[in-house]
Amino acid sequence: MTELPNPETGRRRFLALVCGTFAGLMGLALGLPIVGAIVGPSFRRARSRWARAAAVAELPIGQPVSLRYTDREKDAYLVETVQRDVWALRHAGGEVTVFSPVCPHLGCRYAWKPAEQQFFCACHRSAFAPDGRVLSGPSPRPLDTLPAEIRDGALLVEWESFVLGVAEKKAI
Amino acid sequence: MLDALVRWVDERLPVRAILGLGTNETIPGGARFAYALGSATLFAFALQVVSGCIQLFYYVPTVDHAYDSLMYLRMQIPFGWLLHGLHYWGANAMVVLVGLHTMRVFVWGAYKRPRELTWLIGVALLAGTAAIMFTGAPLPWDERGYWAAEVGSSMVGTTPVIGTSLRRLLRGGEATGQLALSRFFVLHVAILPAALGVGVLLHLLAFRMFGSVGPWRAVQRREEPLWPEQVARDVVVAALLLVLLVGLAAFEPPPITGPADPLDASYVPKPEWNFLFLYKGLQLLPGSLEALGTVGVPLLGLLLLGALPFLDRGPERDPAKRPFAMTGLVLVVGSVAALSVAGLEAPEGAAGESARPREPQASARAQEGAALFATLGCGGCHRADGGALDLSAEGARGRSPEWLAAQIRAPAEHVPGSTMPAHPQLSAAQLEALVAYLESLRSPGAPAPGATAAPPARGAGAPGAREAAGRAAEIVGSAIHGATLYTIQCSPCHGEAGRSDRADARRGNVPPLVPISRVIFSPEPEVFAAQLDRWLQHGAAPAAEHPGIEMPAFGDTDVLTQQQIADIEAYVMSRNGVARGGIVHPGIRPAWFAAIVALLFGGAGLLFVALSRRRVRDSSRGASS
Repeated sequence: MTELPNPETGRRRFLALVCGTFAGLMGLALGLPIVGAIVGPSFRRARSRWARAAAVAELPIGQPVSLRYTDREKDAYLVETVQRDVWALRHAGGEVTVFSPVCPHLGCRYAWKPAEQQFFCACHRSAFAPDGRVLSGPSPRPLDTLPAEIRDGALLVEWESFVLGVAEKKAI
Repeated sequence: MLDALVRWVDERLPVRAILGLGTNETIPGGARFAYALGSATLFAFALQVVSGCIQLFYYVPTVDHAYDSLMYLRMQIPFGWLLHGLHYWGANAMVVLVGLHTMRVFVWGAYKRPRELTWLIGVALLAGTAAIMFTGAPLPWDERGYWAAEVGSSMVGTTPVIGTSLRRLLRGGEATGQLALSRFFVLHVAILPAALGVGVLLHLLAFRMFGSVGPWRAVQRREEPLWPEQVARDVVVAALLLVLLVGLAAFEPPPITGPADPLDASYVPKPEWNFLFLYKGLQLLPGSLEALGTVGVPLLGLLLLGALPFLDRGPERDPAKRPFAMTGLVLVVGSVAALSVAGLEAPEGAAGESARPREPQASARAQEGAALFATLGCGGCHRADGGALDLSAEGARGRSPEWLAAQIRAPAEHVPGSTMPAHPQLSAAQLEALVAYLESLRSPGAPAPGATAAPPARGAGAPGAREAAGRAAEIVGSAIHGATLYTIQCSPCHGEAGRSDRADARRGNVPPLVPISRVIFSPEPEVFAAQLDRWLQHGAAPAAEHPGIEMPAFGDTDVLTQQQIADIEAYVMSRNGVARGGIVHPGIRPAWFAAIVALLFGGAGLLFVALSRRRVRDSSRGASS
């Protein structure tokens, strides 16, 4: 038996479909942005910006020096001025290698021993060559280099932190 | 399974019955799009609540971080631009819709017995909407918001007798500062939305009790059920509104006016469009009647609106038979529209003329001039160093006030070859104040405000390699306001077009700014700003052997505020094709997102139009067969 469609019921169904569709589309058009905005920067990698660490001309050639400079650390929209320490080694060719001051083994601060011409971490006796290679001790990897750039006569450094105690250098 | 669950819930929480309260209703004379204005207002309100809540994830209500946190939301948060834009334009839409809804109810005579209290609650909601818009405007703590708060609370202060106390209460003290922002914030995000929410609920309940009023003439069409006949129209209007708001957010984003800077005298505040009629009205009133315009007229209007159902008590609802009411409507709407249009065209800075104090004392005027001298940045060049531009004994030089005024107003026309920037924007009173100040300077070597005692010692060349960018580098400045500041501060040397044809420039002493040196330029706004900032903060001396001029250290010497430096940077960056306030993490790019939304909604709309045509054809065929 076939039932004749009731035009009144059909119209109600049609209007309900119109309502449902547009309500759904509005939910989608607003829902996706809302989720996006709430997730926001939750999974973004923290990155610092280039900071001026020194004038390149002031650095001795072939001799690592500890540089203390002022960096601006950004926590979302809050900008804080912080002091940073890095080791910088100016090569004869003019380029500069910058090392993070954090020992890749367990995070101690290491020092330069001019007599032995090596970096030495007193915590667990790791020793590193001027180019960062591990000479002895428990460090699983060479010293961590930081992105550095020479612009306009100034040494620019980008601060980064790395996962400690593993063989692979991995930024946090 | 699902049916069982629905039944289980319904037995314990009668959702269907509760929903039925809202939907089991009939519309006398049938559903209409005109009746969708109320529901569209409600939709706009809901949109404000949602977009407002999401903004609270990022916004902080403090004077030092409000602006930065909002710009962070707009530039760095996926869809932050959209949620902020929806909130900004949604507020405007809500005001328009509330106005239209009120007019619709007025024309239909729906305020008459027994709906007097429904109308009264509606009038309270109208006032609440104005209040929530007023308290929301200052929250970005940008130039616009700051001045809206300053001028708005000053207007409250003109109330006779209790004005000063009201103003102090609203601001939490005398100054428009942190306590004022906190008050605006709490009112805007907690107290007023809660009050509006309760009001909306009462308004809906009252509406539900008496139902829709229907057409004023004897029934033209049969009754139709609210669901789905009227609801479908409401949903379509809401969808259209959303598409419109998304389009506005994408293609007409809220302006970036730079962070609040109470020291910047070059910014001229002007009210939002919905307060323009009041602004123009105030200009027409003599100063002694100011309170009438600032609080008298709005209060009287609101009282009249509230008293309407008690004044107009006749049962007649047909507009044609209510000439008095309709004339009143036309007069009110007409005069508000006319004043708004006139306000739109009013010369900027005309506001507040009437409130100017009477002739100040000579010394007070010189003090005003001293403040202007500092804010205009005169001290950048006119240092108390005994040099040719040293003005510290200008008053003893015997120059006439006319000579001084002409020199300040248009130096190049006055003394051909002068490189001093012109100041056509100064009012006659400001010019007088500056002249009075210059005439009061009689002790050589005394530092003028905003001037350094001696030029900062520096070697030739760029800022030192370790001289870092300053605070301004982190501020998202306003390129629009930066253009004004650039004309005043930078164009005398760098040229209006960013390329000067001065003799110094031809010798290479003044670097071109458009296009700027590749050393400074970066496509990344933050990096570009930081590079540029070092020059503006610390200045520079051209590497030439005898540089006739040097770049002043605008930041180090406090000649410009950090906000102003940020504005100039935004302007110079914009001339080099980089937007300081450019969106870094859009989620989906604004234009793309608007296009997708328009396509989805438009496609669904077209599909439904086609379907309904076929249904009509089918049913008429069915009827004829």
